Amino acid sequence: MNAKRALLLLALLALAAPVFAQGQAPAAQSNTHWIWITSGFAMAIASAVCGLAQAKAVASACEGMARNPGAAAPIRFALILGLALIESLALYTLVIILLQVRAA
Amino acid sequence: MQEHELWFTALLNDHLAGVGDSILSWVGVHAENPARPWSNFIAMEILVAVVIVVAFAWLRPRLSVDRPGKVQHCFEVTYLFLRGTAEDVLGPPSHAYMAYFGTIFIFILFSNLLGVIPTFESPTMFAAVPLGCALATFFYYNLMGFREHGVGRYLKHFAGPMPLLAPLMVPIELISHMSRPLSLTIRLYANMYAGEQVTLAFIGLVPLVIPVAFMGLHVFVAFLQAFVFMLLTMVYVAGAVEHEH
Repeated sequence: MNAKRALLLLALLALAAPVFAQGQAPAAQSNTHWIWITSGFAMAIASAVCGLAQAKAVASACEGMARNPGAAAPIRFALILGLALIESLALYTLVIILLQVRAA
Repeated sequence: MQEHELWFTALLNDHLAGVGDSILSWVGVHAENPARPWSNFIAMEILVAVVIVVAFAWLRPRLSVDRPGKVQHCFEVTYLFLRGTAEDVLGPPSHAYMAYFGTIFIFILFSNLLGVIPTFESPTMFAAVPLGCALATFFYYNLMGFREHGVGRYLKHFAGPMPLLAPLMVPIELISHMSRPLSLTIRLYANMYAGEQVTLAFIGLVPLVIPVAFMGLHVFVAFLQAFVFMLLTMVYVAGAVEHEH
């Protein structure tokens, strides 16, 4: 019963469709290439925080493998999976930059 | 912007342009240039599929239980690795899903590695191909959930453990499920595209020796991304078919 009500509430979100009809934003006339500046900063921040997170993951994995060498295989497995997922967050930033640069 | 055509794509366009146009017309799409409907990524995907079929067709008669050869050992190692990973994630029911896991791994791996060979490109470098793989995985794990639990019970899992939490859980679960194909697509596409662009950038800077390191990194990332895609597929299938106590 509650699931049905929740789904009906979600269906009301369809009333928000007119939001997509907003007008085009006016093109910037200045000579400053904001896309290039912000994309540099965005990628730097994303890569820096991704590097910190991956360092933390690798440090914990190394310590775990040192404490318990017998469990090295599952720890390595979890490490690889974790690193790939953290890496993908930095890559989302890169994809947005690529889309912006292509559109500009 | 017409990108440079590879020799394989030019081969398909020269001889099979009519076939390409008619296949596109089945779904109501018209090519920009009807004389050359085949695009690079479609041609490369077809090449990967042909290579996989030929390789396994070549392998099958050479398999032997009593006297395994070197090639059989290589494939056995790969298969046992995939099987072991699936059992770690799914447990005993994993054997029913091994066909899809193995296929998605081999397809993405060969697609990623095809770009390393000169005059070929990775089909996974174009956003449409990882999207196709991610959507296939999305439909697959939901279908496995429907098959295991039945449509009604599987959808009821979205409501969470208690009926009281349902208005909170349903949007959260829906958004997290919708984000899975998105993250799979972007992860694979961005890794392959960025790997190629980094290699090209370094070839522009230092034409000798240094780009080899980045190509090596790209090959390593190719293996890793195929493995991670397959691993996440396994995790999603496990989430869909598990029976809670």
